Amino acid sequence: MNPEPRTSQALNALTVAFLALTLAFLLDLWGRPLALTEIPPVDPQFTNTATVRLSIADQIAAGADPSDWDCYICHDRKKPPQLRFDENQNLLIPEEHEDIQLHHGSHNRNNNCFNCHNENNLDLLQTRDGRELKLAESTPLCGSCHGPTYRDWEAGAHGRANGHWHDSFGPRLRQACVACHDPHAPAFPQQKVGPGPYPLRPVDIPTAHPQPPH
Amino acid sequence: MNRAIRNYLVFLGRCSRIAFAGDWRYYAWMGVLTVFCLLGLNAYAKQFVHGLLVTGMTDEVSWGVYIANFTFLVGVAAAAVMMVIPVYIYNNEELHDLVIFGELLAVAAILMCLAFVTVDLGRPDRFWHLIPGIGQFNFPASMLSWDVIVLNGYLLLNIHICGYLLYCRYQGRKPAKWFYIPFVFIAIVWAVSIHTVTAFLYVGLGGRPFWNSAIVGPRFLASAFTAGPALIILALQVIRRVTAYRITDKALLTLRSIVQVSMLINVFLLINEVFKEFYSGNLHVASSKYLYVGLHGYHALVPWIWTAIAFNVIAMVLLLLPLSRSLRWLNLTCVLCIVGIWIEKGMGLVIPGFIPTPLGEMIEYTPTLNETLICFGIWAFGLLCYTIFLRMSVPILLGTLSQANEGRD
Amino acid sequence: MGDPQPTPPHPPTASPRALTRRSFLRASAVFGGGLAALAAALAPLRHLDDFPTLDQFLQKYYRELTPAEMERILRRIEAEVEREYGVRPQVRDVKPLTGVEYVYAHNLTRCIGCRRCVHACVAENNLSRTPEVQYIRVLRLPHGSLDMEKADHNYAPEWVPEPDHFYMPVQCQQCRNPPCVKVCPVHATWQETDGLTVIDYDWCIGCRYCAAACPYWARHFNFTRPSIPKGQLNPDMAYLGNRPRRQGVMEKCHFCIQRTRVGRYPACLEVCPTGARKFGNILDPESEVSYILKHKRVFIQLKEELGTSPRFYYYFDV
Repeated sequence: MNPEPRTSQALNALTVAFLALTLAFLLDLWGRPLALTEIPPVDPQFTNTATVRLSIADQIAAGADPSDWDCYICHDRKKPPQLRFDENQNLLIPEEHEDIQLHHGSHNRNNNCFNCHNENNLDLLQTRDGRELKLAESTPLCGSCHGPTYRDWEAGAHGRANGHWHDSFGPRLRQACVACHDPHAPAFPQQKVGPGPYPLRPVDIPTAHPQPPH
Repeated sequence: MNRAIRNYLVFLGRCSRIAFAGDWRYYAWMGVLTVFCLLGLNAYAKQFVHGLLVTGMTDEVSWGVYIANFTFLVGVAAAAVMMVIPVYIYNNEELHDLVIFGELLAVAAILMCLAFVTVDLGRPDRFWHLIPGIGQFNFPASMLSWDVIVLNGYLLLNIHICGYLLYCRYQGRKPAKWFYIPFVFIAIVWAVSIHTVTAFLYVGLGGRPFWNSAIVGPRFLASAFTAGPALIILALQVIRRVTAYRITDKALLTLRSIVQVSMLINVFLLINEVFKEFYSGNLHVASSKYLYVGLHGYHALVPWIWTAIAFNVIAMVLLLLPLSRSLRWLNLTCVLCIVGIWIEKGMGLVIPGFIPTPLGEMIEYTPTLNETLICFGIWAFGLLCYTIFLRMSVPILLGTLSQANEGRD
Repeated sequence: MGDPQPTPPHPPTASPRALTRRSFLRASAVFGGGLAALAAALAPLRHLDDFPTLDQFLQKYYRELTPAEMERILRRIEAEVEREYGVRPQVRDVKPLTGVEYVYAHNLTRCIGCRRCVHACVAENNLSRTPEVQYIRVLRLPHGSLDMEKADHNYAPEWVPEPDHFYMPVQCQQCRNPPCVKVCPVHATWQETDGLTVIDYDWCIGCRYCAAACPYWARHFNFTRPSIPKGQLNPDMAYLGNRPRRQGVMEKCHFCIQRTRVGRYPACLEVCPTGARKFGNILDPESEVSYILKHKRVFIQLKEELGTSPRFYYYFDV
């Protein structure tokens, strides 16, 4: 067969192919970039640098009404309160203090209010060796029992800090124990969990990790 | 002097003119390749605008088919040396001219490698930061900087050798030995180095146990010396069919024995690797498990790697049988070798290195359409280059394009 | 592909003109079609709105900039950010302090896995919100194992901590022998005298070799243009720190260079509700981190066997 007509056919086909490509490119028929799923903004609670609770010292500093901590509005100065226990040596918390959950130490080791509060002056705290401390200055009281933790706290290895990593640059704000721990139930409270990662593209997970029961 | 320059310019002019001339098959073939090049170019334009988001890559699997193809093609380029060694060291005359076809393939393969690396860059506009002297070149610490040197060096070496030999043939004079033989020997060492350096790119990463294995380098060489000559056999078969250039069966069978030995070594090294990974059974086996049997319910690569292993083993058996002395069976065997090794060394090596991530996360990778089109485009570009090189060199070797017949076209 | 005799482009044939003209027209049609297709193939480039200006294109490497050049670049970046986000930032080039080597210590006993560090980091460091780039990944591990393969990255209970698990945040470990620095082909990432491994975002070519080399999955790539909602930009910026990144470059945790080099704590530390995160100067024997490394019996460097020697230590209260 004469190659000439074949060459023409090939060239014609090529011209058509080029024009078809031109059209396809201009119409942008394929290869559009992936539409990204909009990721919802993160709740500001997860970027808040505040401590998990407000200690009395913080509340006083914030201008709270101090009469809340005036024990002798109800109690009698001359009559130290009597503690009552059930048959298992659990402290019976009076109705007036029902907001207090006492979970400090296991085996009822620390179920006596007057381990920390001064029964003769309820406005004060006291250590086991008799030192008296103001309500807003409780940290040495905690330290009187929690020696190693107190040591770490003093060295900056336990507890929160804000500000500067060296005093020469500016103040370093150290938080007191009660800024994070409720002295009556000092275990660190559970927190809401922040949103997890969003992959760049949707992925299917064949073996979804079972959600742990809460 | 002026005359020499004029002659050379005429040579270049005639070569480029001949690249546009051919029969209908040539036009059809070049047309198809051009169409794929354009598809790839369009896909790359999109990637250039929107970033690598248009690929399937993620932070988890941060290299994909681009680097996989790059790795494979470095092997193809390195394999050109497997024809040079018999010719210049053992004086195998059968392969003498064929060396040029092999080295031209190396040039085309390196061009594709460079293209694959370029499309993989997040900031291609900053490529100049890589140029020694004006940029900042982290040599010798970074294996990638070694790769830049050895690949470009290899490109220049091969361009010099092929260009010089072809030009001498065109002028009808005998090439001066001192002007190419030393370069041939340098190229032999250099070819081994390009693939070793590319292997070291992976091997040197302590945080990726799948790659951090001394056997990767030898495996790279073995697989390269299988797939490369296999590709050359196919190219020679095509040249034999569509041009008047005479290629003897003996030449093809010499290449067959190279493929044969390399494939045996390749499969042997693969067995070594798999044994070490699975028998010792330490925690680092995760990536291998993902590749060969699937991990935690993820198994995208499992069918691929078993296809590759099947192809490699069938090819090995065929190569051992006298059957593959028949050229039709040899063609089939070569195709099996190329596809098998492309999967094993491309997707099968690059992707599982990333899965699971160093933090144990399982995110799989699938190339997108856009990414695939870019790959096709680069392959088409490489084949286009190779076809043009052959279109120029075959008439020169045949003597139909020479200084003597200047002015007669 | 051709016969032995190369076919000339315009084969001289017996029937002269008509044929020549036809083949010329045909060649022109192919050529024209090809050009049209080429132009159309490049058409997507018309959407290119982030093409580098000449100034950006020719910008020199960070460590070769003179103070005057740096000053000019900082002002230019401020103007660029203001144009894009409507806020005039302050971009500084904060230099390392002498006699300082930063170390991070993380208390695995205290961490509850609440991911506040992750999100405080995003806000402080102007990380892309969509797509999401995060420097910190918190792993939930079952008690008793440091095997990363057992890690859950996507845990989503309402409350943490959960029983029988512990949590381990992983971010850039600021290695003493950083593999990422070694592999970068263009020196776009390096270790400063205070131990911080930083990136010149304007020098990175985006090859992602460092991401492959990092054993901690700490390096993150901008697969497309990062997006930060207007009004959420932190205007206190450093050149090597939290200034907005561009498409196609790497980024990673730099211990909040814009804060720590002026003496402030990193953002992830300040937000941590439990105080599990500790940071300071290891060369100062009085610092918190010196105390921890001296007194805590068990502390670990992640993947110690790799020899990267991280400056990020995990410890337990023992």
